[in-house]
Amino acid sequence: MLSLTSEAQTLPKRLPFVNYTEVGGLFGRVISGTQNNKVVENKTNLTVQTLNGVKLTKRLAVGALVGLDWYNSALLMPVGAGLRFQITRPSDRNVSVFASTDAGYGLTWLNKSSTGYFVKGGLMLNPGIGLRLGKPGRGCLLLTLSYKHQQAQVEKPLRWNEVMRYETRQYNRLAIRLGISI
Amino acid sequence: MNQIVWGYKDRQTIFFGPLQPFAVEMGPVSIKQQLITMKYPLYLVLVLLLGVSQSACTDKCTETRVFKRFTPVLLTANQIRQNIGTEAVRTLQAPGKIYTKNGFLFINEIKEGIHIVDNRNPEAPKMVSFIRIPGNGDMAVRNNILYADSYMDLVAFDISDVTNIRPIKRINNVFPSGQFNGGSWFVNSVTGDVHDQRIDYVKDEIQTNCEEGINPTNWMFNTLAFDSRSMSAAPSTGGVQQTTNGTAGSMARFALYDNYLYTVNSSELQLFDIQNPAEPKTGNKVQLGWGIETIFPYGDKLFIGSQSGMHIYDNRNPQKPERMSVFEHARVCDPVVVHGNKAYVTLRSGTNCQGFTNQLDVVDISNLFRPKLIKSYPMRNPHGLGIDFPNLFICEGAYGLKTFDASDAQNIDKNLRENIDNIDAYDVIPLGKSLLLIGRDGFYQYDYSNPRKLRLMSKIPVQRPGAVS
Repeated sequence: MLSLTSEAQTLPKRLPFVNYTEVGGLFGRVISGTQNNKVVENKTNLTVQTLNGVKLTKRLAVGALVGLDWYNSALLMPVGAGLRFQITRPSDRNVSVFASTDAGYGLTWLNKSSTGYFVKGGLMLNPGIGLRLGKPGRGCLLLTLSYKHQQAQVEKPLRWNEVMRYETRQYNRLAIRLGISI
Repeated sequence: MNQIVWGYKDRQTIFFGPLQPFAVEMGPVSIKQQLITMKYPLYLVLVLLLGVSQSACTDKCTETRVFKRFTPVLLTANQIRQNIGTEAVRTLQAPGKIYTKNGFLFINEIKEGIHIVDNRNPEAPKMVSFIRIPGNGDMAVRNNILYADSYMDLVAFDISDVTNIRPIKRINNVFPSGQFNGGSWFVNSVTGDVHDQRIDYVKDEIQTNCEEGINPTNWMFNTLAFDSRSMSAAPSTGGVQQTTNGTAGSMARFALYDNYLYTVNSSELQLFDIQNPAEPKTGNKVQLGWGIETIFPYGDKLFIGSQSGMHIYDNRNPQKPERMSVFEHARVCDPVVVHGNKAYVTLRSGTNCQGFTNQLDVVDISNLFRPKLIKSYPMRNPHGLGIDFPNLFICEGAYGLKTFDASDAQNIDKNLRENIDNIDAYDVIPLGKSLLLIGRDGFYQYDYSNPRKLRLMSKIPVQRPGAVS
């Protein structure tokens, strides 16, 4: 028999806190020039990110993310939200696989460009997959592999006989990151 | 002791909770077994990801630019001189400089002529007529006489009746060369023909490597040179002038002062005696240097903007301006306006201005023999400017119009009042209450009684057939 007292209102169940903090590299290429005169360059850049949120169900966690992607000509700070979905069944096992989806907007708050260059941030999308190693409920190691798509726009200074010049950028990189998670 | 173990049995999971009295312990399952029993689709996803990443991890950066392309054009002297006349009203297509007098606006149509606009009601300007003048770029009005250049000639028009404007005097071959929008022209002294260039705006796109791609250069300098030649004690002409002049923008090459029309071409200052306004006579010529762009008369001084610097001339003897000093800067184009003991110079890159600097320089000219830089402010691509102290209006080309409070010369950039960036701004004329602005999109008139929020009074748009905007 449940006696209802004024204090026996059901409090919302405290959702457990999750944190996924990762650091790693963004790897890709860029092909410039014309069809017959291609120039291919390899790109490697640093990325760090932290996602803090709550575990909604046994498998699903959602959180807000803040990161830093230091591209060669732009330092972008993506802020947004991310989902972490555990693919392998939740259990006591020491290893689990999860899928991640992040979306956000890259801010140029920390960016500094040369005179005449003005960078504007854009959409960031980052679906991926990862491995969690460690006892559930304790701190775990993360190893993630994801595809990062970042858009940006740059105003460039005018050279002789030009009246307008701008660039639309789409960074498409493979992000390999190591991290910790609780 | 609560033990939680987890293991497979017949491919089914058995979960033993902590409160179960009977916890069946199974040995720890090896990593190998765990990995093997992961579902195949997972491996597929991994392989797919890696495969896709091979082709998809390529940055894509597209640079779009609009630039000018020059094509040579030949015009005979006859073609130029006989093609002058009044026409019906036309739309603005490639507006150049603006000029105003007595409520009338004169808007130059680059190399084509001058639009006459009745602006007595600034909320509703009316196009009155169009004067066809081949090779026209500048104008000035004294009393009822309009002076305009036509490639190598100077033409005087009687505008007492704006509906019936007629040329009354022409002085031949006073300008040997010039330039419009970066395309230069010159007169072939043997044949008398003019070799000009037509400008087309071309848009193109290229794939870049997503970098800034600039090499740092150290050649830009900002030195000061001064000339301490003592001034001659020539008396000023004095007397009260019963003449009225119009007002030009900062990009003007024509200026009126006393009994003279001052015109600058690329290397010299050419004076015209207009004691009798209807009968201009060729006057003195002063060599200035190279890359001369603009002229701004202020009091009895002339401020001349050139690609190498700002020249200050003493005009106490109006028929013989004398150089006082030069404020040198990096090789860029620069119009100048003056108020009190400060000169405001904008420097820009692009077109025939070969430098890469885009900035506003505030120069202390309390000692005209020793102009001193107070401060430089970076800008996007500044063109013409206007000052109605403390309001400073800077045209930033494709980047619009910026209004500043210039009362504190050290902090002009922190006092940006407004930035209208959805228009193209080439030059301005502040008239006390209204601001006249000309740009590639058209002619705009603003009410700046509240300098923080300019009110658009009227607009004459550009209507260009099939152009790149």
